[in-house]
Amino acid sequence: MSTSAGPTCDLLIIGGGPAGLAAAGVAASHGLRTVLVDERPTLGGQIYRQPGPGFVVHDSRKLGADYLRGQALVDSARRAGARLYTGMSVVSLRGTSAVLFASGPSSGPGSSVGRGRFFGDGDDEDLVVTTSSTTTTLHAGRVLVAPGAYDRPVVFPGWTLPGVITAGGAQALVKASRVVPGDRVAFAGSGPLALAFPAQLHHYGVNVVLALEAGPPPGPRSLLGLLLAAPGNLELLRDGARYRLQLQRGGVPLRYRRVIVRAEGDDRVEAMVHAAVDANWRVVPGSEQSVAVDTVCVGYGFVPSIELFRLAGCEFGYDEDLGGPVVEVDEWRRTTAPGVLAAGDGTGVRGSAVAADQGRLAALGAAVDLGFISATRGTGLARPLRRRLCAKERFRRALRPLFGVGQGVYELATPETIVCRCEEVTLARIDQAAAATRDPNVVKSYTRAGMGLCQGRNCQWQVAAAVARRAGLVVPQVALMTARPPVRPVPLGIVADDSVPDEGLFVR
Amino acid sequence: MTVVEVPSLLLPADEDLSAPLPASTDVVVIGGGLAGCALAYYLAKCGVEVVLLERGELNREASGTNAGSFHFQIALHQLTGSGVESDRARLLGDVRLLAAAAEVWSGLEGELGADLGVHVTGGLMVAETADELETLVTKQRIEQEAGLSTEVLTGAELRNFAPYLAEGVSGACYCAREGHANPLLAAPAFAARAIEAGGRARTHATVIGIQQDGTRPLSRFKVLTTAGSIEAHRVVNAAGAWAREIAGLCGLDLPVRAEGLHVNVTEPRERVLTPMVQHIGRRLTLKQAANGTFIIGGGWPARPERAPLRYSVRWQSAAGNAAVAVRVMPALADVRVMHMWTGVWASSDDLMPIVGEFAQCPGYFACVAPTGFTLGPIVAQMLAEAMAGRSPGGLPAEFRPEREVALARN
Repeated sequence: MSTSAGPTCDLLIIGGGPAGLAAAGVAASHGLRTVLVDERPTLGGQIYRQPGPGFVVHDSRKLGADYLRGQALVDSARRAGARLYTGMSVVSLRGTSAVLFASGPSSGPGSSVGRGRFFGDGDDEDLVVTTSSTTTTLHAGRVLVAPGAYDRPVVFPGWTLPGVITAGGAQALVKASRVVPGDRVAFAGSGPLALAFPAQLHHYGVNVVLALEAGPPPGPRSLLGLLLAAPGNLELLRDGARYRLQLQRGGVPLRYRRVIVRAEGDDRVEAMVHAAVDANWRVVPGSEQSVAVDTVCVGYGFVPSIELFRLAGCEFGYDEDLGGPVVEVDEWRRTTAPGVLAAGDGTGVRGSAVAADQGRLAALGAAVDLGFISATRGTGLARPLRRRLCAKERFRRALRPLFGVGQGVYELATPETIVCRCEEVTLARIDQAAAATRDPNVVKSYTRAGMGLCQGRNCQWQVAAAVARRAGLVVPQVALMTARPPVRPVPLGIVADDSVPDEGLFVR
Repeated sequence: MTVVEVPSLLLPADEDLSAPLPASTDVVVIGGGLAGCALAYYLAKCGVEVVLLERGELNREASGTNAGSFHFQIALHQLTGSGVESDRARLLGDVRLLAAAAEVWSGLEGELGADLGVHVTGGLMVAETADELETLVTKQRIEQEAGLSTEVLTGAELRNFAPYLAEGVSGACYCAREGHANPLLAAPAFAARAIEAGGRARTHATVIGIQQDGTRPLSRFKVLTTAGSIEAHRVVNAAGAWAREIAGLCGLDLPVRAEGLHVNVTEPRERVLTPMVQHIGRRLTLKQAANGTFIIGGGWPARPERAPLRYSVRWQSAAGNAAVAVRVMPALADVRVMHMWTGVWASSDDLMPIVGEFAQCPGYFACVAPTGFTLGPIVAQMLAEAMAGRSPGGLPAEFRPEREVALARN
């Protein structure tokens, strides 16, 4: 049923990380009635994550540059008049109408638990939508989807042991809850952040006993590439050098071309076994070593959160180094789905600076589309953003030889390894089903892999890899499991709407 | 959490489903859903040469995307709104068929030597209003007369039996034989056993044309597919929701259309609900599966999309379906919906099975059943026995493909 009733706005931004916040500031400053929703209790997304509810910040400098950058984006969005709501999840998206509900606690000004104030048709302030008891459908002129990314799920024997956590999870613990994850922490990962994570953890007082990078150490050739691409990216180069220095000073051993092969322990992780790998991250036999740890932090890069894009019917390309499926966008960051724009790591993982500029560009695109500014003015305003984005893209391509993702990352599981942890499905089971089909949906129906609470986010890549191996294909050639709402689990009582008429079975 | 084992013998992987089509066969069955797979099995078991053709993968449409319920009681969709008594003669026939379906399902795991996840949990058909309760009482008498044992519970008896039902539920009709099976296992099990019995199956073979030559009685049909062609003595249209398009290839008409259905699936919870719950006046089926998840459906529509996309979720259907469920079982309010899925089903004009041979096209049969999960195995068995010449009474006239549809039920 398409209904025009309900709250409206000009631009709905889904996601309050760097991309969404930067977009909110730009859009609101051009007069768009802008609503930003984020499901977390605090704004800032993963990288600029603000401390959780209940924390009072006495000295903001102690929280580091990321906190301050995030705070600045929040402030400027709010000053421009954007309405920012936390603890609010989008569970479905069709066209430019989004189904929202108050999913959790919320903090900070501009939002209150269980209540969302949106823009009404007449008086902006009049309409108060209580979202604690049911969902609300918000109709927007344009929707900017900026959902971010999550840690690339990597499956190895022991990955489900308590004490094995993702880099993002560890980061969230220290940033939002001020909790350090363990006493002896090993980090295994790859990518530009493989240095940043252990350096940050070390900075927060975590005892990091070993850091592994799957890629090669930076050699003269790749450094030359970086220098050539570097104009405009000196800050990023400096960050990398600083992280390395921090690790060295802290006495954290950093080893290149090695990956985790399994986590060992009875009730929780007690040791991490690691091994040397070749250029495709495939394990070199006989190179295993073990280190005693109580926590393993795994960070082999990120994969975009694509659920909302898939629901909206957007088309995708594929780039493993950007996290896999990458939504297609035009010069204004419009997707192929009418009215839906895209920005940030959810559109290919490139980091917070790029995300913010993509968000600003998308906000300009929405402003142009909706007639708030002329195309000429928009193009003028977009020019510096596009210049910066181009420079960063050159830098990223130069980094590729260092941080390209190897297919070996999908080959660490043994037949007994549980791949779908929600439904406890082993690789052997999945391989067995993959012998009968090339369709991951069929593997899902035979094995239940992907039917659990994570809705397939963790196992779908492994299932796709298993199907690809069996069929002699590569992962991008394998379709993903069908996308369906809800994008987040939502209580039946909230989904329920008594006002929907029950017309009987066969009235059409 | 329960792990559903995949017994390897139930995967028809031993057969090369993508091998070239055989040159000829006695029977070609079009459609790899429950009806087609079951028919292939029962035909092969009777010694009839059969090749099953599926355009995609086995069991991917209605047969594998329904909630797996056995509906044996007279339900909302069988009522015309003109009163239960006025439908009496037809309902008696319906119930007799349903009682026979219950027999088949109760023996199916033994027949196929496979765990199909069959759970006979009993089923409750609830009523809220006085009118609904009266309907329950009347329909229960018809069920009794047709040989299906049911009883109406009210008051303290109902509260004791089903304490999870809301105060507003005034009565419920209980049928001990109702329950569910795993829809992901039934059709593949039939297919695997059909292959073991000598039948053959080919997937990714889309039927694009059927040529007829009446002068060649033993290979009257030539079925053209995207994977080659095959000559056949007889053809069975078991294409479910797409049976009308397949019938059209021979210039025949089948009053079947595809409808999209919505299902809500929750996170798993501790077991509180044993029987399946349905509603005599509202669109609701509700049950708690073996792994603790609640599966909630009942006929709420999904939105058609252009091919090759599948039906998409109408949020209105999710919301309406959830509202009925929470009203009937208030404790569901805080259980989280984890997945929504859409399925398709084959709706016929009178919602009766279409099973039998076309008089105007000898050798061409239909095997399509709305509410096909319940009825698929029984109608396939009936048709197979008739086609193998083992059914002295023949098939019921009311299932004939070319019957006059007297009554379009609302």
